[in-house]
Amino acid sequence: MVKEIERAGIPVVHMCTVTPISMTVGANRIVPTIAIPHPLGNPKLDPEEEKALRRQLVEKALKALATEVEEQTIFE
Amino acid sequence: MRLELGYVFIKDVQFGSESKVENGTLYVNKEELINLIKEDEHFESVDIELARPGESVRITPVKDVIEPRVKVEGPGGIFPGMISKVDIVGSGKTNVLKGCAVVTTGRIVGFQEGIIDMTGPGAEYTPFSKLNNVVLVCEPKEGLKQHEHEKALRMAGFKVAAHLGKLAKEIKPDEVDTFETLPILEGINKYSDLPKVAYVQMLQSQGLLHDTYVYGVDAKQIVPTILYPTEIMDGAIVSGNCVSACDKNTTYHHLNNPVVQDLYKKHGKELNFVGVIITNENVYLADKERSSNWTAKLAEFLGLDGVVVSQEGFGNPDTDLIMNCKKIEQKGIKTVIITDEYAGRDGASQSLADADKLANAVVTGGNANEVITLPPMDKIIGHIKYVDTIAGGFDGSLKEDGSIVVELQAITGATNELGFNKLTARGF
Repeated sequence: MVKEIERAGIPVVHMCTVTPISMTVGANRIVPTIAIPHPLGNPKLDPEEEKALRRQLVEKALKALATEVEEQTIFE
Repeated sequence: MRLELGYVFIKDVQFGSESKVENGTLYVNKEELINLIKEDEHFESVDIELARPGESVRITPVKDVIEPRVKVEGPGGIFPGMISKVDIVGSGKTNVLKGCAVVTTGRIVGFQEGIIDMTGPGAEYTPFSKLNNVVLVCEPKEGLKQHEHEKALRMAGFKVAAHLGKLAKEIKPDEVDTFETLPILEGINKYSDLPKVAYVQMLQSQGLLHDTYVYGVDAKQIVPTILYPTEIMDGAIVSGNCVSACDKNTTYHHLNNPVVQDLYKKHGKELNFVGVIITNENVYLADKERSSNWTAKLAEFLGLDGVVVSQEGFGNPDTDLIMNCKKIEQKGIKTVIITDEYAGRDGASQSLADADKLANAVVTGGNANEVITLPPMDKIIGHIKYVDTIAGGFDGSLKEDGSIVVELQAITGATNELGFNKLTARGF
């Protein structure tokens, strides 16, 4: 899906936990997430902390989207 | 460490007034087994059914399949950390009721996975259709929490298998196999001209119904470590998983791990089988990185020349598999990986979610997406109505006449990644 959307000329950030697979399939902008069963959350945190975590991840993804890349890049 | 496995061949299973083994027949006292399982107060109802090879019987969902064994000599007992204390097992003598198994069924947690047909085309795809099965149908009490339910059903299987195993304790086995692994330096001195080979066994460890236990420890909490191969034959590793049943290792698979068996066949002749490195398949990337770093470190530390890696499951564990392969290869150690494939119903799609050029020696257990039609059976043990929602099933899988159209994925052990079945693919 990442590749097809980019083929249509729209940049994509792939947020995922297993970044090596994302590299293998050819995503260009990759933002690592928390865990496979809960990529954008963390049940160990209380709701306020979790909301902050989610916001931080989304902001990181938006920043990645606006960043020019020359090669496949993981935004740690 | 040296273990003698004594096989007591079982050709039939029957109910009887007394549980015993006589002339190759396993007799089970139904009430005795029901009472044993009902010691756990979590079950609303318990029933015992028998399923023999060739009978028109379908068992589903299947949680676990377990071979009854008993320690005859040597330290510890079967299933250490689960049924027995945590003594190191794998030495002395163990008797095996060969040709039968305990199968656990009943409504399970979440999706209702796993099918064993005792006859017809489906029977060809599962090794457990060839066994005389004692099937435990255990239904939980309402409101039982998922984790407690999983544990109760898992333990019921081990308890009954250990109980039936004891029937073989005083019996002289029909056949005996001996397996021996020396401490590493002694082994290397003894077989100084043979290549040093180890087995890296990846254990499913992704949470509820996706867990494996080592001496009672949840495998997601281990860092990779080393076992003598014979420890596995006494139940050091047991299954807590059955989701996408085709490529999950039941406890029966662990006890009879064909990679271990085959490496022993060549041990001291073509190679020096130095031991087993166990590792996990966790859901955090850092865990995947750490565990694969450690398998590579241990492989290097042991001075290995070659490694066989087996995977359990598919999808994100493909990454653990490729990380293990790549990092061990980068230490200058040759690897062969054993996996299975999700290549689409026509087999034309990419087989694994991850890949690397260093993964250049691959054995496959077959394509789990292939579709099969399972004809109706006269008798169902367990529950049939869930078939539409299991992995490998789809809305409309279950037909009105009782036949099922499913992917091989739904059949217990169909594409097993230890090679414990008949499917594969060959390159020419």
